[in-house]
Amino acid sequence: MVAFTLNGRPADVTADPAKPLLWVLREDLDTLGPKYGCGVAQCGACRVLINGVSTPSCIVPLQSIEGADVVTVEGLEDEDGTLSIVQQAWIAEQVPQCGFCQPGFLIAATELLARNPDPTDAEIDDAISNICRCGTYPRIRRAIHRAAEMARA
Amino acid sequence: MTRILSRRAFLLTGAAVGGTALVAGIGGVGYLATVDVDGLNGGAVDGDTAELNAFVVVHADGTVTISVPRTEMGQGIHTGLAMVVAEEMDLPFDERIRVVFPTAAHAAYSSWFNVLQVRPEEASGPVVWLARRVLGEIGFIATGASASTMSLWHPMRVAGAAARGMLVAAAAARLDVPESELRTEAAAVHHDATRRSLSYAELAQEAATLPPPDDPVLKPREDWRIVGRAQPRVDIPAKVRGAPVFGMDVVLPRMLHASIRHAPVFGAGLAIIHNERELRAMPGVRDVTVINGLHVAIVAESWWQAEEAAWRLDAEWTTTEADNESSATLSLRMKAALESESPYENIDEGDVDAALAAPDGRFVEAEYDVPHVTHACMETMNATAILREDGSAELWAPSQNRSTMSAGLHRGMDWAGVSPEEVTLNVTMNGGAFGRRSDADVIAEAAFLAARYPGRPVKVMWSREEDIGRGLYRSQAAGRIRAALGPDGLPLAYDARVATQSILNSVAGRNFPFNPGPDGDALSVEGLDKPYYAIPNRRMHSQNVPSHIPIHFWRSNGYSFNTFFAESFIDECATEAGIDPLAYRRSLLRDSPRHLAVLDRVAEMAGWSTALPPGRGRGIAIDECYRSVVAQVAEVTVSDDGEIQVDRVFCALDAGLIINPDTVIAQVEGGIIYGVTTALMSRLTIEDGAVVESNFHDFPVQRLANAPAIEVSLMDSNEGPCGVGEPGVVPVAAAVANAIHAATGRRLRSLPLAITEMIGERRTRSVLQQGDA
Ligand code: FES
Ligand code: FES
Repeated sequence: MVAFTLNGRPADVTADPAKPLLWVLREDLDTLGPKYGCGVAQCGACRVLINGVSTPSCIVPLQSIEGADVVTVEGLEDEDGTLSIVQQAWIAEQVPQCGFCQPGFLIAATELLARNPDPTDAEIDDAISNICRCGTYPRIRRAIHRAAEMARA
Repeated sequence: MTRILSRRAFLLTGAAVGGTALVAGIGGVGYLATVDVDGLNGGAVDGDTAELNAFVVVHADGTVTISVPRTEMGQGIHTGLAMVVAEEMDLPFDERIRVVFPTAAHAAYSSWFNVLQVRPEEASGPVVWLARRVLGEIGFIATGASASTMSLWHPMRVAGAAARGMLVAAAAARLDVPESELRTEAAAVHHDATRRSLSYAELAQEAATLPPPDDPVLKPREDWRIVGRAQPRVDIPAKVRGAPVFGMDVVLPRMLHASIRHAPVFGAGLAIIHNERELRAMPGVRDVTVINGLHVAIVAESWWQAEEAAWRLDAEWTTTEADNESSATLSLRMKAALESESPYENIDEGDVDAALAAPDGRFVEAEYDVPHVTHACMETMNATAILREDGSAELWAPSQNRSTMSAGLHRGMDWAGVSPEEVTLNVTMNGGAFGRRSDADVIAEAAFLAARYPGRPVKVMWSREEDIGRGLYRSQAAGRIRAALGPDGLPLAYDARVATQSILNSVAGRNFPFNPGPDGDALSVEGLDKPYYAIPNRRMHSQNVPSHIPIHFWRSNGYSFNTFFAESFIDECATEAGIDPLAYRRSLLRDSPRHLAVLDRVAEMAGWSTALPPGRGRGIAIDECYRSVVAQVAEVTVSDDGEIQVDRVFCALDAGLIINPDTVIAQVEGGIIYGVTTALMSRLTIEDGAVVESNFHDFPVQRLANAPAIEVSLMDSNEGPCGVGEPGVVPVAAAVANAIHAATGRRLRSLPLAITEMIGERRTRSVLQQGDA
């Protein structure tokens, strides 16, 4: 059994220790926000925060997260349902198209802004490596800048 | 002159076949006359809900459910069509509106516009009458060809107006006043004289029992408050919470999971599995089975377990004639087909040969080609099916086509010797589609497995490797264009030929009970004919080049290569004539004011006449597609070692009447990025009959760091709504190639324009291919 914190609540999972966290979340913990897009740490659709670090959960074995603090897209909003500033900025810029990749982008942007509250374009380029086939990149860039601005206000 | 066999003619033929059988089967024209193709009849009350027509349900709590029978795959169609209904009903466009893809296939939902290409607001006559009823009865509901707004904006406008009429009639009865004294605003009916108001929620149950107005009164355009003004998308709040249910997210009690391994060579099947016992002994594995004698399915309690076993599969596949095919052999066949003595003649206007033979004319000729590419939707192919003990079946799938869902479900169950009694089809959210999800392949696989486990739902999901390497493809293509330039430098004759594998022939062979054959496939030649350019003599030929590779609809189909060929070639003619590419196109558009306005707009946005520093260049391209006119200017930087970056793309679009401007802009942005990826980066390699590439490390795509900045301008237009999902893709490859020529003097005639390599784990660098000077 592996115990960790998922979106602020304790989670205990009995599964193959080699099972990737992505599939533990989706199949054992009914947490369907993180998506499978490639399985090889290329696309970022599966990104979650592990102890605050944006990580492709498709390559993280369950056994390695004992005691860790895991946050998925479902954990970005407050207990009372208030959306995080990043989520609000995403709505303001009308970012998602199909939306499938967006959980991973929201996680990556959340980590970036936590570390660097006012990133430049170059810093955004450097930090965000996820794939969106719908081509929402221009809006993602704008939404990150907007979130930085909202956080300052 | 030979007419292009249009998609409409082809589909109509198909519909007529189905229709004839149907009419014969169910009692003929008398029966068809009773089909409710507008969806306005049949109001009903069920508990707290009042169904006013096939599109509108009003609930007692004041919420309104709007049925949008088109797949939401990112294009914002659920918002756009709901806006039209809200406008006519005077509903505030807020969270009280819910949008669903209806499970029932009402005749009013049919995609008959896609077949007839006649706008509903302009349609009349016996062909329309018959086709609407036949296609409505057979439940032909498809999302594609950038047609959803064109197909439903008017019918849903009428449905909204009819619903409003019923609510007003109910209020008139309740208040005992004439309808003419009532007005609607903010989801309520108001009688100003007596200052009384009744909300729609209060009126809906009575309204649902009234007949719809004979001729629902449409709101005049000048009174529009919602349509034409950017509205927030109805699906976005859920999408930032990770809440929507994509096909991949369907979870049902006692569900089994399956991962598939398809034969590497298309057309091959399984010969033998060497390690079946080992696989069966793996944790969670329930079954190792063969689908329709072809593909291996591993069924397990979890998808991860199924996929773990699938990775370990040690199988041999049957040999086929295609085992030695490669990109090289296929390209040679494409090139050879350009020399065909008997190509299909799509267009022959004027006397092309005479103009080309003129002794004093300048002659331009060029050949172009593009490789196979695939869709790579972010959500890999999947479907979930169940066969219940009572013989009924149910399917959940991210699909663009309800008809192929139904066909796939029956086909897969038929492979297992089962024919379901009653079928329920659920269309989920789609994680991208781009044409890919109109095929039934994965649906049939899920249905087959479900039939083997009656009572248990089975979800089939493809790995990314299957999705890229064992899927469906946009064909290779080669083109050759020749022109004779007159004394003014403009073409007197334009002679274009394309060799490619017919899209319709391949799609129909897999999915339809009829096949129009490969010749004259309008989808394979679209974008090559340039009818809006003033060129007196024009000819267009096409040649089908069959192969074992399954070809499918792919965002913008033939335009994705033909517009690259034709708009690169027009640039080459301009260069030969020594005329600026913008000025050259302006001359050619002298009889096409709509196109000229779009071209001028984009040139102005891009500051066409301003100089760029060395190493940078601008290219322009234009086309008409899906009834829209789209022009783009791309700006590129090429470094000394050939590394290319597309810095900016400007786009002007005349898409007629715009419903939700911000969504249209988003579609164009997305189309441009999809198109830039394909122009610079995308290539699938065939070796030993199979696709070599397998995942995003070797099928790279644009990411945020190298995506261009994009500016979009929407033209004011007198046209009805036109297509917007695909036009953004169409001119971009030519615009980028033309920009590279401007920057470097090198004319690149093959896609992808660059070779892309990974630098680090998730970075790429694209370096220009060797081209002709
Ligand atoms: S699924 Fe993990 S990075 Fe793509
Ligand atoms: S929004 Fe569709 S893949 Fe990103």
